Amino acid sequence: MERRELLKLIALLTGGAVVGGEVFLAGCKTAGKADTGFTTSTIALLDEIGETIIPATVTPGAKAAKVGEFMKVMVTDCYTEKQQAAFTNGIAQLEEACKKATGKSFMECMPEQRHDFLVSLEKEAKEFNNKRNEEDKPKREAHKAENEKLAFKDQKEFEGTPSHYYTMMKQLTLLGFFSSRTGMTETLRHLPVPGKYDGAYPYTKGDKAWAE
Amino acid sequence: MADNLYDAIVIGSGISGGWAAKELTEKGLKVIMLERGRNIEHIKDYVSATKESWEFPHRGGRTQQMIKDYPVLKRDYPLNETVLDLWCKDSEHPYTEVKRFDWYRGYHVGGRSLTWGRQSYRFNKWDFEANAKEGIAVDWPIRYDDLAPWYSYAEKFAGIQGNKDGLEVLPDGDFMPAMELNCVEKDIKKRLETYYKNTRHLIIGRSANITQPHHDRTNCQYRNRCWRGCPFGGYFSTQSATLPAAMKTGNLTLRPFSIVTKILYDKDKKKATGVEILDAETNMTYEYKAKIVFVCASALNSTWVLMNSATNIWPDGLGSSSGELGHNVMDHHFRCGASGTVEGFSDQYVYGRRPTGIYIPRFRNIYTDKRDYIRGFGYQGGAGRGRGVEVAEFTIGADLKDALSIPGDNWGMGITAFGEMLPYHENKIALDKEKKDKWGLPVLAFDVEIKENEKKMRIDMMNDAKEMLEAAGVKKVESYDHGYAVGMGIHEMGTARMGRDPKSSVLNGNNQVWDAPNVFVTDGACMTSASCVNPSLTYMAMTARAANFAVSELKKGNI
Repeated sequence: MERRELLKLIALLTGGAVVGGEVFLAGCKTAGKADTGFTTSTIALLDEIGETIIPATVTPGAKAAKVGEFMKVMVTDCYTEKQQAAFTNGIAQLEEACKKATGKSFMECMPEQRHDFLVSLEKEAKEFNNKRNEEDKPKREAHKAENEKLAFKDQKEFEGTPSHYYTMMKQLTLLGFFSSRTGMTETLRHLPVPGKYDGAYPYTKGDKAWAE
Repeated sequence: MADNLYDAIVIGSGISGGWAAKELTEKGLKVIMLERGRNIEHIKDYVSATKESWEFPHRGGRTQQMIKDYPVLKRDYPLNETVLDLWCKDSEHPYTEVKRFDWYRGYHVGGRSLTWGRQSYRFNKWDFEANAKEGIAVDWPIRYDDLAPWYSYAEKFAGIQGNKDGLEVLPDGDFMPAMELNCVEKDIKKRLETYYKNTRHLIIGRSANITQPHHDRTNCQYRNRCWRGCPFGGYFSTQSATLPAAMKTGNLTLRPFSIVTKILYDKDKKKATGVEILDAETNMTYEYKAKIVFVCASALNSTWVLMNSATNIWPDGLGSSSGELGHNVMDHHFRCGASGTVEGFSDQYVYGRRPTGIYIPRFRNIYTDKRDYIRGFGYQGGAGRGRGVEVAEFTIGADLKDALSIPGDNWGMGITAFGEMLPYHENKIALDKEKKDKWGLPVLAFDVEIKENEKKMRIDMMNDAKEMLEAAGVKKVESYDHGYAVGMGIHEMGTARMGRDPKSSVLNGNNQVWDAPNVFVTDGACMTSASCVNPSLTYMAMTARAANFAVSELKKGNI
């Protein structure tokens, strides 16, 4: 149940269901190839993107949680071909956009530049996803109407247009960080065996949340 | 034993099978329990029980390979990385859906007793009378009072935590000390009961989690990881409770990988003589002989076994002479409710993860309430304080991290209704003789749907939730109906119902197959109606009662 809470929270923050989460609509075409082209430098780049979203503060950040490696595993195993393509193409698109905005590759940027650039991508992603939602809506409805005419065994599931690549990266950063050992035990409070339940436990503003 | 001869055979090792094995062995019978899947040993084989999120490569999510291998399970939350080994692989166990039917199965020792939701409620007296009063299906051959002592018996052994709430609609039982409502639930309870002048109630969800040490089991440690298997034995399962009790007698043989293909029937004696099994690993066929057979293979598989038995006498199988075998499939329909935000408890939080929520017992169509449908529903839910405070749009970096590292300012409260589904003769399962599984056995074909009564009820299930939460002061309440396919409740019932007349029922009031009195069906298949409460406790009580009856009949020489 708590895992579902985490997925809900991320979906709310990023405006889209989390791929690989329980809420993910199943039945899409399975990924054909295991090699989604993640090199060491891609993983390093994704680590830095993650670190810009969730940086080290008094506690370690996304890079320490190895979110780059986590993204590789998730995209390779859990994404559909369409989503994989959107993600991997997104890496090149991100580099291109970064060059355009800053004149440098993401890796060459200073933390502040990275931050500002990703904020601009947040805005772009939001617009992209909103437009996608609007365009997918009639397609989804038409698909549903078509399905209703068919016997259950012939019905197909609808696969919409994937979210903006940045949305995927942000989702995976949040999911990867807050389910990592460092995220759960250092940034959050972790209780493997509580031993008791107190439903009116005192809380002082600023106290950390329990890890799910 | 010599010649594979036993006093009793138990088919299945889930909640009902485990109880049958315990009761029969404790009464001195030599018993073999046949389980179609692999063995799972208590604690040792709970591979995920103490794993943390970061130890799962996909952090508990689902991969495309899983989606491919589990085309049914993927339809809802059960398909995830943490408990994958506790569900059968759909791709290896096909069935036919004339209409969509979500069948989530656990083929291993312990069955779904390992993954169940543990909510444990007694049916009330009205549940047993409703069919007769309303002219629905057939009358139950038993009444609440017949089962009440067996409910007590089951509760005492299983260990059910709960409160004696004194409600006629939800009879009290022999409970362990109850788990606590949290501060928000207590407040909502008070407001709700005041607003509805004590005609609606909010109570702690009664569940099979022990709050005190019990037999060799350690009390619940509030990890809320129950469905991965509990290393403390904190909740009731075959492995934690009934199996060790049965093993202690020295009278039990457990045989995994044993698919019962048919019950062997002697037409002259009009009795079963044993069963035939297919060894799932070697494909070898074996026969086991016994004086009595308990069919506890889970509702629809129990009926599958009957359908494959004695077909030389009844083409549609043992128990089909009534014309009701395979009919009247039921489940609980759900996925409607409401949720919202609770303000004003920001100085309180929770410690520990309680493995139960709240329960709002049925209030529709009882006493003077009258709706445009019959029967009713109850709500499960709870209040919690989620993580993360609001941040300005497009915030990333340290501010986002900090905001997501503390609890939200407000609490959330949500409730989901579980409604009674009527037994309709047209809702049926049958053997699909065209399609075979990998052992060459015919598979089941499902033709089941909800009808007008359920659809009308769903409107109330959704709207009442919103109304009640608002009445209790919850803010920003939103109601929902997420849609429901039969089977999603994982409360399959019916298909071999109990009744008073062999012409219209498969089983009599003691769970004996009318056409073979030494065959007992005591799992969900026996249910004549569904009530709206979770059914497992009723299977426990029903099985213990039938086992007691079977042994006394055996001693008298009647079967």
